[in-house]
Amino acid sequence: MVRVVRTKVEIEGRTHEEVVVVEGEEPAAWAAGELHHVGQATVRVDGVERVTGSARYTSDMQLPGMLYAAVARCPHPHARLRSLDTRAAEALPGVRAILTHENAPPIPWHGKASRVFDTELRHEGDEIAAVAADDPETAERAARLIRAEYEVLPYVIDAEVAMRPDAVQVHPDGNVLKDEDGNEGETYTRGDVAKGFGAADVVFEGRFSTAAQMHNALETHGSVVAWDGPTLTIYDSTQAIFNVRNRLAQSLGLPLTDVRVIKNYVGGAFGAKLGAYKQTLIAALLARSTGRPIHLMLDRRAENLVAGHRAPSIQHIKVGARKDGTLTALEMRIICPIGAFGMWAPSVGGPAKEMYTIPNMHIQTFGVRVHTGSHSAFRAPGYVEGAVALEGALDEIAAQLGLDPLAIRLKNYAAKDPGSDQAFTAKHLDECYRRGAERFGWAGLRKDLTAARKASGAGSAGTALLRGIGMASQNWGGGGGPTAQALCRINSDGSVDVQCGSQDLGTGTRTVLAQIAADALHLGMDRVRVLLGDTDKPYAPLSGGSMTVASVGPAVRMAADEARKQLLEIASAFMDTAPDRLEIRDGRIVRQGQADRSMSIADVLKEIGDYQIIGKGFRGPNPPEIIRTWGAQFAEVTVDPVTGHVQVVRMTGVYDTGRVINPLTYTSQIHGGIVQGMGLAVTEGRTLDPTSGKSLNANLEEYKLPTIADLPQIDVTWIGEPDFQANHLGAKGIGEPPIIPTPAAIANAVADALGVRVFDLPITPERVLTALAGGMA
Amino acid sequence: MDPFEHHNAATVAGAIELLTGNATGAQAARPISGGTDLLTTMKAGLRAPVRLVNLKTVRGLDSIVDYAGTLRLGALVTLDTLEHNGLVAERYRALADAAGLAASPQLRNMGTLGGNLAQESRCAYYRNADFPCWLKGGTVCYAREGDNAHHAVFTDDSPCVTVHPSDPATALLALDATLTIQGAAGERRVPIGDFFTLPRADHRQLTILGPADLITGIELPPLPAARSASRYLKAMDRATWSFALAGVAVALTWTAPGSGLIESVRIALGGVAPVPRRAAAAEDYLVGKQLNAATAAEAGRLAVQGAASLAHNAYKVRLLAGLVARALAATVPT
Repeated sequence: MVRVVRTKVEIEGRTHEEVVVVEGEEPAAWAAGELHHVGQATVRVDGVERVTGSARYTSDMQLPGMLYAAVARCPHPHARLRSLDTRAAEALPGVRAILTHENAPPIPWHGKASRVFDTELRHEGDEIAAVAADDPETAERAARLIRAEYEVLPYVIDAEVAMRPDAVQVHPDGNVLKDEDGNEGETYTRGDVAKGFGAADVVFEGRFSTAAQMHNALETHGSVVAWDGPTLTIYDSTQAIFNVRNRLAQSLGLPLTDVRVIKNYVGGAFGAKLGAYKQTLIAALLARSTGRPIHLMLDRRAENLVAGHRAPSIQHIKVGARKDGTLTALEMRIICPIGAFGMWAPSVGGPAKEMYTIPNMHIQTFGVRVHTGSHSAFRAPGYVEGAVALEGALDEIAAQLGLDPLAIRLKNYAAKDPGSDQAFTAKHLDECYRRGAERFGWAGLRKDLTAARKASGAGSAGTALLRGIGMASQNWGGGGGPTAQALCRINSDGSVDVQCGSQDLGTGTRTVLAQIAADALHLGMDRVRVLLGDTDKPYAPLSGGSMTVASVGPAVRMAADEARKQLLEIASAFMDTAPDRLEIRDGRIVRQGQADRSMSIADVLKEIGDYQIIGKGFRGPNPPEIIRTWGAQFAEVTVDPVTGHVQVVRMTGVYDTGRVINPLTYTSQIHGGIVQGMGLAVTEGRTLDPTSGKSLNANLEEYKLPTIADLPQIDVTWIGEPDFQANHLGAKGIGEPPIIPTPAAIANAVADALGVRVFDLPITPERVLTALAGGMA
Repeated sequence: MDPFEHHNAATVAGAIELLTGNATGAQAARPISGGTDLLTTMKAGLRAPVRLVNLKTVRGLDSIVDYAGTLRLGALVTLDTLEHNGLVAERYRALADAAGLAASPQLRNMGTLGGNLAQESRCAYYRNADFPCWLKGGTVCYAREGDNAHHAVFTDDSPCVTVHPSDPATALLALDATLTIQGAAGERRVPIGDFFTLPRADHRQLTILGPADLITGIELPPLPAARSASRYLKAMDRATWSFALAGVAVALTWTAPGSGLIESVRIALGGVAPVPRRAAAAEDYLVGKQLNAATAAEAGRLAVQGAASLAHNAYKVRLLAGLVARALAATVPT
């Protein structure tokens, strides 16, 4: 019996309604007593392949007769293509095909705003032609030999300039994204802001900014594609195989049966690989025109120009509070340049809306199109940036009132969702604060630092290291939801495979799902293989939004549970016992209470010959309550007043994301989030040349990722209380939460160390020294 | 990258012959040792040499020899070796520190001292083939009006505002090194201060090296053992693996062991001009002075005299003054 149910699903700060097809009944809340693998620190089931190099990533794929492709790109932020001369490239020995706007089908891209090869080029790196050749060097040389003549057009890269009525237009419908009513920007209001500020005893107002952060996954974007008759197989560097399949099928006019997308191992994605990119379509077209498989990977420069980034943000924030620290009003005006083809604005206002009980609020968010490559999701898009302004403003208010930053957060603690007044399924953030402060030594350090500063006399004229501490809170979704499906198959030899079209980003999905399946089957993990990353498997969502464990995990558990039940039902015929009196223990099927009455699984399966037991599972609807994940981070920094260098010395993170399936991969996620957040806080940022609009650091030399020497000591712990209202595993996502409070906590710690705030991130030596010089270096 | 010939040189003379007169400009033949700089320029499309001449096959270019107190370093000594060699660390600590603070472990394993001194500008405009900048033969220095947060603060002497990227160069300038250069016309000995050249309209490069010139050795003069010290300090925009925002090398001699009184001093500044430069006014001021916090700070102030910063790098002037004072203070025996 199939039923249809409506439910709400939150992803990346936006909630939508989803229709769920429900077949059968989901298992009940999973009690701790039933678990042997879930909750245990478990090394990655695919760790050996990954570290020995036998794991094949997209660029490792070698297919018979394969050609290599390279893309020729526009060097200008805005230009019209006048003419193309491909003769020199064609004459190069080994060149097999060249595609341009003149011979490629005009397949729409970026919605309807552009085509696979357009003649109006709206950002540096926009594609003008592609070459397929016998080897990568020839393809790259040929791409360089394509002569293009451009009419260079006026451009705009500054979002505030692009918002002006007389600005250069990126598209005919205006630079600023419009809301459903056709107004520029998105507006969120609650209460009465004027009244709220009227009731405030203190007000803080400031302008914060964050830079464009590049994902820089080790594995760049790219595809290896092959046609076999009418069917197209795509090995794609993606975190969303079904999105790639849908998009390519639509672009090429193929039925879904004729497009298969495979991604077995992912070399990092961080949100930049949530859909099909143009190079995949280009590869498919080149493969069709040459009749040969095509290998097309982006180089590091192209990766940085066309494959997404975290949009920069400019955040004007105003916060009011009463003397006792009660927040009365908040106003934000948020501007995010989203690139030439950005279609959404990041949820920079998310933290402000949900984190504290602020009764009066007005937030405007402007997504502004500019002549750069488009932004994309990047690990908690918007929330990371928004936390910087919100948590920074809170510290400034606390300082004005002489309050402990932790105290003002507890004072405005939101037990319910402050916007809707709806309940949360679970919230233990207060416990995160308490444990974090204790582990970090917050109160003692604050006292010591205050005393030391008094003793040395305020001011930063010295040359000794300045020390400071700061903290910040985190809220995020991560509750997941439908649709996710899985199959669990028990083979005739008793081995089990779990089949699911999810992806393992490197986060440990395969391992976590194996733990879940093993516990649902009452079997050891050595029996279970988890097969992911193939659109021939049942549907699973993109690996993003911190939703994989909470979306796919329940479906896998249900599929495995169903398979186990079928096995017991089959065994009951041979053991002359009702199935509900049978259980699996140490690989045998045992009659409850009678350990001597048992049968090995192998013997049961032998009885049924080649029949495969197949269990089906799905992810059911979400509850009406709001599902959130929570956390707090504490940072200690030193700042060198001579060099301006910020060293993050130590970070403590405490998380509340429900049950923890695998403490080992969970901890890895938090380490990674903190490191990536630290990059945004102190070292990373795209730089664009103000006079030409071109990127100056589309490489790993000038774009400064944190190195090992930059890393702090990281101390991680969690609450671990299962959230069974959220789903029957009680688990929620940890993918994005750990990056959210990191830049805010570090920026607050730097402000504490300097005695003056650096409002613009990254907090570079230039900005530190400029701030110490009183705003003028 | 375009195809090229690759030759293993057997001798310095053979290498020079292979480098002589086959192509000019971006296509000119180039010597290669570690390749950590040259290969990046080839990948970026800045250089497309028709021929590479491998120096690693020339014997003896990676030796470190002590000649009666003068230390002779072969041009192919790697930065890693410089960092860890006992003689260098003991007598010329500024050089060991500069080598250790350069690049990353992988790059230090490959990169050689000669190549490090001959490396090209790291200015983002210079390195991007899309910008036909002045140093590459164009008419405009894009950094002057563009993003110049990492550029020169002594900008009056050259149309180009790049900074020299080498850390060892700054240390060698303070240590008064002499380079041995071999070319078609034979061998020359060049004080390091004369090796680096401010780029001019008719000489758009940062060194005196001609297309068939090779650095073969670097000589460090003796320093009085018990009464001298040297240090190199570097400021970066992350903890490691970055070119210097500013680098300061100091080498000084006390009047007597433990006197604290300066007999002579050389201060070299890196990352602040197209070539490493001496802080002459600061040096003159310090001679005969007791080194303490006040005199070190005054030397720092004098070291930045004449600085003319650009729109985004005024912070480097402060930084440089502070770093000079700190480097001097670090030489005081504890």
